[in-house]
Amino acid sequence: MHISRRRLGVYAVALAFAIVMNFVLPRLMPGSPVDAMIAQLGPRATPAAIEAIKARFGAVDQPLLSQFVDYLKGLATLDLGVSVKYYPQTVTQVLGRSEIWTSFLVVTAIIFSLCVGVVLGAVAAWRRGGRFDTIVSPLAVIMIAIPPVIIALTTLFVFAVSLQWFPVGYAYDPNLDPAFNFTFIGSVFAHAILPVLTLSPYLIGEFQTTMRSSMISVLGEDYVTMGRAKGLSHRAVMFSYGARNAMLPVLTNLALMLGAVFGGSIVTEIVFNYPGLGLTLYTASITRDYPVIQGQLLLMTLATLGANLLVDIIYGLVDPRLREASE
Amino acid sequence: MNFALQPILAQKKAVAGLIIIVVLGLMALFAPVIAPGEPAARVGRSHQPPSVEHVMGTTKMGRDVYRQFVWGARTSLAVGFATGIAITILGTAIGLIAGYVGGRTDAVLDLVTNAVLVIPNLPLLILLASFAGTVGPMTIMVIIALTSWPWGARMTRAQTLALRNRDFVTASKMIGEPAWRIIFVEILPNLTPLVGINLVGSIIYALVAQTTLEYLGFGDPLKVSWGTMLYNAQNSSAIMVGAWWDIGAPAAGIALTGLGLALLNFTFDEIANPQLRSGPALTRWFRLTRARNRQLEARR
Repeated sequence: MHISRRRLGVYAVALAFAIVMNFVLPRLMPGSPVDAMIAQLGPRATPAAIEAIKARFGAVDQPLLSQFVDYLKGLATLDLGVSVKYYPQTVTQVLGRSEIWTSFLVVTAIIFSLCVGVVLGAVAAWRRGGRFDTIVSPLAVIMIAIPPVIIALTTLFVFAVSLQWFPVGYAYDPNLDPAFNFTFIGSVFAHAILPVLTLSPYLIGEFQTTMRSSMISVLGEDYVTMGRAKGLSHRAVMFSYGARNAMLPVLTNLALMLGAVFGGSIVTEIVFNYPGLGLTLYTASITRDYPVIQGQLLLMTLATLGANLLVDIIYGLVDPRLREASE
Repeated sequence: MNFALQPILAQKKAVAGLIIIVVLGLMALFAPVIAPGEPAARVGRSHQPPSVEHVMGTTKMGRDVYRQFVWGARTSLAVGFATGIAITILGTAIGLIAGYVGGRTDAVLDLVTNAVLVIPNLPLLILLASFAGTVGPMTIMVIIALTSWPWGARMTRAQTLALRNRDFVTASKMIGEPAWRIIFVEILPNLTPLVGINLVGSIIYALVAQTTLEYLGFGDPLKVSWGTMLYNAQNSSAIMVGAWWDIGAPAAGIALTGLGLALLNFTFDEIANPQLRSGPALTRWFRLTRARNRQLEARR
């Protein structure tokens, strides 16, 4: 493995930033979030619950530093506190429940968009200036500029409410019991189609634009000319010589975009009432369930960092030049 | 014609984008003239479809959608553009300083830039906004600007690094120009296309982020904007009762603005990076090579 110390430093700082934000914000906030949360708990506000919230949000007579140390100790044991809305469930439980659905949506959308975007971008670069390129490439830039909210609301209205081709919400038919059979899995897929299609335009646009510009510079390389000179078929040169090497920047972009994909999935899940992290975050933000909001930020930061780290590792394996450089 | 505008106006896409943005801008500017009256006033029955009286129908609260659409453009565009400008200034300044000064300053700034870049933006925005409570456009602006400058900073830094050792910079140093002058007067003008891309991209981003935050209910519900229109429409389940005009109007406004900006950005990209160009000249070249290939085939 060849990951530069510099990159690791970046990830450490990002994680530290997210943690410090989580610690500092509730203590900076005007008015007391603790009172708001205890009020939210209502009749469930047992002394134990109040104590847990107070300790977490700094309404205790302890110096800041020891509060911070306690906070870090909690994080190290995966203790993210208790949810205010779903008390006595812990944040870890609440997030764990919804995390599967978000991962399912995000991964499906990324794989789908990666296939479509890379092919479109490669073909557009190959026929640069042709009719295909002049139509498809500006379209990609436009797709990036349209907020996911708009796409989600439009697809929901057109395909679910008006045409009734797809269900209007949730992850599966609520009349079905979760089971590993054809009906249930079919229902899960039918419910995922619109959310995935909503997430995809932005991703396709990004992948396609990156792929196009990276492919254009790769096509200028000598080995591509060599491939052509050898009399290889267009397709062989385009995919085995060009696209394969042009994929690297797309990978980097993918890791960096994961944060934006999470953003898109938050909105999509809210519009389609999809029971993932986004919907949980939304409910938490309405009910001022601060521990869940904080846990969410940590979880998503960790996921993005993990993806970036993974890409760094893959990059080192795929691109021999980088290996040389780090040695 | 202004020299700087010429490459932009030569492109049909850019002109189309510019027209869209200018028309929307004028609409926002002249809101009191083209849609007189208080946008929050109750003027008709609930959820009326578009008619002569209410061109875009009414909302659940019986407010005129057209009036809200025109007045909403004011807040949405103002916040979007102002935030975009703030992001660009922040990103450009940080990138320039990191790239030019180098050394430890660069190491620290670059570290921070990359770190903020990998933190997911929207969850961070939601965290900040939910601790701040219901926030006005000004707070939304600050929150978005503080979390989204790194893209621009990274681009600017890379470009500055490439420029800092050029002869004209060395010459200015020798004359004894102060660092700030070299950065902002000597180097910055060379980054104009980059700043353009950054600006348009940031405005697009700000628009998306602002709409999302307002849609989630963090905006000031008393201030009419396209995002809060979406929020209100969503809360009155406009989609489920088939009141498409209630959602459609603000959605179209945001989508149009995005479209206009995207068309502009596409052109900026091509100016900054001629390699990406797909204009008429290239088409001609392709036609020529194709013809030549055909001739070669025929000869064989």
